[in-house]
Formats: sequence, structure tokens, C-alpha cells
Amino acid sequence: MNAGKYIRDIWNGFTSLLKGMKRTGYYFTHHKEIITQQYPDNRNDLKLPERFKGEVVMPHNEKNEHRCTGCQACELACPNGSIKVIFKNELTPEGKKKKAIDKLVYHLELCTMCNLCVEACPSDAIKMAQTFEHSVFDRNKLTKILNKPESKIMDGVE
Amino acid sequence: MTGSTIIFYLLAALTLVSGVLSVTTRHIFRAAIYLLFTLIGIAGIYFWMQYEFIAAVQIVVYAGGIAVLIIFSIFLTQQAGEKLPKQKMERKIFSALAVFCGFALTMVQVLQHEFPVSVAPVTSPSVNDIGRQMLNVEESGFALPFEVISMLLLAAMVGCIVIAMREKRENLNTEQKNIKRIPNDT
Amino acid sequence: MWSFSDIANNIHNWLSNQFNTTWTMIFEMLIAGVCVIGLFALLGLVLVIMERKVSAWMQIRLGPNRVGPKGMFQSLADTVKLMVKEGMTPWGADKTLFNLAPFIAMIVAMLLLAPIAFASNFQLWDINIGVLYVSAVSSLSVISILMAGWASNNKYSLLGAMRSGAQIVSYELSAGLSILAIIVLTGDLRFSTIIASQADGWWIFKGHIPVIIAFITFIIAVTAETNRAPFDMAEAESELTAGFHTEYSGMKFALFFLAEYVNVFIVCAIGATLFLGGPMPLHIGLWEGFNHAMDYIPSSVWFFGKTFFLIFLIMWFRWTFPRLRIDQLLRLEWKYLLPISMINLLLITAMAILKWHF
Repeated sequence: MNAGKYIRDIWNGFTSLLKGMKRTGYYFTHHKEIITQQYPDNRNDLKLPERFKGEVVMPHNEKNEHRCTGCQACELACPNGSIKVIFKNELTPEGKKKKAIDKLVYHLELCTMCNLCVEACPSDAIKMAQTFEHSVFDRNKLTKILNKPESKIMDGVE
Repeated sequence: MTGSTIIFYLLAALTLVSGVLSVTTRHIFRAAIYLLFTLIGIAGIYFWMQYEFIAAVQIVVYAGGIAVLIIFSIFLTQQAGEKLPKQKMERKIFSALAVFCGFALTMVQVLQHEFPVSVAPVTSPSVNDIGRQMLNVEESGFALPFEVISMLLLAAMVGCIVIAMREKRENLNTEQKNIKRIPNDT
Repeated sequence: MWSFSDIANNIHNWLSNQFNTTWTMIFEMLIAGVCVIGLFALLGLVLVIMERKVSAWMQIRLGPNRVGPKGMFQSLADTVKLMVKEGMTPWGADKTLFNLAPFIAMIVAMLLLAPIAFASNFQLWDINIGVLYVSAVSSLSVISILMAGWASNNKYSLLGAMRSGAQIVSYELSAGLSILAIIVLTGDLRFSTIIASQADGWWIFKGHIPVIIAFITFIIAVTAETNRAPFDMAEAESELTAGFHTEYSGMKFALFFLAEYVNVFIVCAIGATLFLGGPMPLHIGLWEGFNHAMDYIPSSVWFFGKTFFLIFLIMWFRWTFPRLRIDQLLRLEWKYLLPISMINLLLITAMAILKWHF
């Protein structure tokens, strides 16, 4: 070990340590950077980050229509099998039989909020909601059916 | 009996009791801890005599240094928590005899010796004086013992380094041999 | 204007008027003991809440905020909880040593408090070897850790004790050398002399760069000696659960916890006394008005201000730096701190002989 490297090591060590202390010192003096939420107190005006993921939901429009075609892409994408698509046969106005979803069963108790199903969906039928108060007394209540009863597929979505 | 005497007897009792305990206990770690208390008791007696410097050195060298070293060597070598085997009877008798002889010798010396009252002027135990006395080459100076001890420590340090280095070289050699042997075997 | 030394003198005079010498001394010892214990309890409360708040703000959190205004009584609640908790002794432990260890830690911390000057002329014991006494007694604190680690009869505890032993023994060297730097400049070990020598300026300003290097070495070494992060190898939550105090609970754990914080306070007080002038106010050269204004601030405020500044610095280290590995820790000491502080001591000796300092 030569003397130059020795002194350079000490210098580099010191400057990098000081850099770290500058960062924490900045946070110490700037309290507005604090990101902790006082949760039960500010429950009414809670501000969640944009990308917070609480559960999978299927948005419906006012005519009780969703965009799900039943392509099963989400079911295949899910790494731990928390989505199950159940089909039914529907008659189109022309009298043809058409495959449509009966139930889109979503097991919240298995879900890890990995977002892979939302990314896999070709027709943007499901998305992540920001609700997070999921505690229930009965585990069965965590098995949810995402499409509303009597809902139909939106026109123009194939 | 003044307060000062009471404190002396308390310190002496601490020293003696923990000394006796350190030789009678069969847990080696406890023996080390009791030895430590003995050393601290002696340091306390130095404080009582107002030899603060000696007391501090006693704590640094014996309690802080040697006792910790002993505890470390116990950690590294002994099975923690196991009792030592019981000593044989003849060993017990002989060690008691040795202790008694040593005690008798010391007591005879102490009782026979007349402690003359020192007429030398009292030196203030300030650091300055201690430092000057330590490096004093005239009579009653401590330059020679000081230097001899520092030579001893230097020799010990060099010895440590030599031992550590030789071990390392042997390791290297065996490693190289291993490396050479592997292609031959395969 | 009344000060700590005046109060102490008044009490002393009143007691010596009422009683004879022996009883005066006994009463003074009792008062001093009660004051020390009170100070310990107060320090424990203040430093724990300070550490939690500092750590929270440095990690962009809020910290304790439920008990009392802004969570300021959190450590009181913690104290109550620790006091009513059961103090267990494990089945396989060496019971005597296991129960003795926390008290040794506490006694060592108490002994260290004796020579510290909390205000000008306010000291429990102005021993003539002050600094040597402190470094001697602080070397005993490792004993309690070794005792606790061994007596717990637990592998984590033993490992923690071994690590902290190696750590404290080696970092004592550079702490001692950096303290020696100030002793070389002052020429005395007595705390009152060291403080008096800084009446015209603190050593960190008077001693040029070598004293600043000594100060930095001192801070690093005492951080290691008090077993605090980034040198908390003895506890190392993520590796050894809690190191030497894994098996402790209730009040015995609280004693270890308190001893750690009191030790931090003591080393910071010593650092403040040696390098930052202890109870001496800040004086700048020839600014008469400024110096005069500074003299109005009581000396105890100066002392506690400097000490808490150093404590904050050590907390800042703790919540910024990651923990070192044991080999990195020993390399830092033996390859960097020790040679640097030795050369630095040589420089300071030359400076003291040639009178280059102010």
C-alpha cells in the first residue's frame, strides 16, 4: 500500500461519509419532507401516492357495462392463481352464441398486488384501486366477484 | 474507629474475600471475575492511600488489561460453563501448605521490619513530577526500569509479529502445495 | 447572580454550621448520590426521546407522537413499562454473574461521572489525575459486557461479548492517544486545569489542524467504545438479535440501556471538556463586546450545550452510516486511526515544545 493511495482512501472515505451526513442533515432540518401519514386521524382526507395498489377492481360505466372480453390473459398472468374467469354463453341480437364472462372471481386473500394482471389485460378492463381497509371477520368475504350482476360488455370492445 | 478505618476494612474484606473465592470456585470464568474484584479492591486501597496515579495504573493495567486478557483466553480455550474437575487431596494439602508458608514468610518479614518514618520531602504527585521522576537518570530516578520495561515490551511486540508472520507463510506454502497437487491428481 | 458552585457552597456552609465534619461529609455524599441518580434518570429520559426524535426526522418519519405533547412523554411511558415487566433469569444462566452484570455497567458509569465539571467550579471530585482516571475506569465497562455475554449461556450473547471486547480494547488506544494530545498541550491531567487553560480560547481553535484531527479521532473512537452504530457490533440486531443483552428483560435490561446512554453522555462531556472548553464561554480574539455578551450565558448552559451538540453528532453518525463488519472495524482502528493519531501526537508534541499554538 503506497502513501498516496492511503491518503486518498482517507480523503475519499471522509468525503463520502460527509455526503451521507449532508443528506440526513437535510432531512433532519426539513420537516416538510416527512412522508409519514397519521393514518386513523386523517382518514377522511388521506392522500395516497398515485401508484399505491390496494386491490383489483373492474370499472363499470353508468350503463352497467364493463370492458372485459373474457380472454383469460389476467388469469394466465397471475403468478399465484388469484383470478379465475368463469364463462357463460350469451345470445347476440343476431341469434349467434357468444362466449362472455359469467363471473370474474378474484381472491384478494391470495393477491400480492403485483400488478401483472392489469398489465396483461389487452382491453384495460381491470385496474388497481387504492382502497386498503380490507380486514373482515370471515375469510370467504375476501373472495370477490369483480363484474357486477347483470353487467354486460361494453359495445365496441372485442 | 474512624470512617477512614472502616473504609479500609471494607476494601480489605472485598480484596480478601474475592481472592479466596477466586481460588475456591470451580467455574473458571467466575475465578477470573473474582480475581478482577481482588485487583479492583487493591486499586481501591491505593485510592484510600491517596496514591491516585498508582490506583489508576492498577486499574488500567490489571483490571482493564490483564483481567480482560484472561477472560478472553478463557473464552477462546475453555468450554464455557463447565465445572473444573475436583482437585486431588494431596494437591489441596500441598497448595494449602505453600500458601501457609508464603503467608508466614511475609508476616515474619512484616513483623520484623521496622518501618522507618520517611524524612524525604513530600513530593506532590502531579503529572509533571511523575514524568520527571520517570525519566530521571540521577539517583532515585526511574529511567533504568522504565527503559528496561519498554525494551521488554518491544521484544514482546516483535515476538508477536514474528509468530504471526511465520504462521502466515506456512499457510501460504500449504496453499501453494494444494494448488500444485490438484492438477496432478486429476 | 447565582450559579451551581454558589448553591453547592451555600449547602456546604449550612451543613457545616449544623453538624460536625463527619456528618457534613456523609450528608454531602448522600446529596451528591441522590443528585447523580436523579441526573441519570433524567438523562435516560431525555436522551431516549432525543434519539428517537432525531432518528425519526433523519429517516423522514415523525417518531413518537402519541404520549404527551408531540410524544415528549414517550420515554416516561417506556420507563413505567420496563419497571413493571418481569425480570427473567434464564434456566441455564450463571445466576450470580447474570444478575451482577447490569449493576457493574451502572456502577462504572456512575464512577465516571465523578470528575466531570458541570459548571465552572462545580465538580464532585477534582482528582489530580482526572483524565487518566476516566480512561482507567472506562476500561472496566467491557467487564460488564463480557460478564453479561458469558453468564447468559447463549451463543449470540457470547459472540456479542467477544466482539465488543475486541472492539473496546482496540479503540481505547486511539481514544487514549487523542486525549493525550490535549494533555500534552495543557501539561496537566486535572480537569480544572484543562478547563482553565481554555479561558482564552478552546483547544480546537487554539491547536490548529492537529487538534482537529485529534478531535475527529476521539469522536470516532468513543463512538466505538460506547458500542453505538456504526460500531454496534456487540448488539448488531440483524446479526445477533441483541448481542450481549439478548437474555435480559425488565429492569436489568433497562440498566444496560441506561448505562449505554449515560456512557454516551459521559464521553461527550469529556470531549466537550477537553476540546471545546467545557463550561468556558466562546471568546473570539479581541471582540470585547461579543466576549462580554457571551460571559452572561451561565457556564452550565455552555457545558450542556456543547455536550448535547456532541451527543447529537454521535446520533447523526448512528442514523446515517451502515454498520461495519468486524474485520473492517479492526482495520479502521489498526491501519488508519492508530497510525494517524500517533503521527498526530508527534506533531502536537512538536507544536507544544515550539509554542506554535495560540
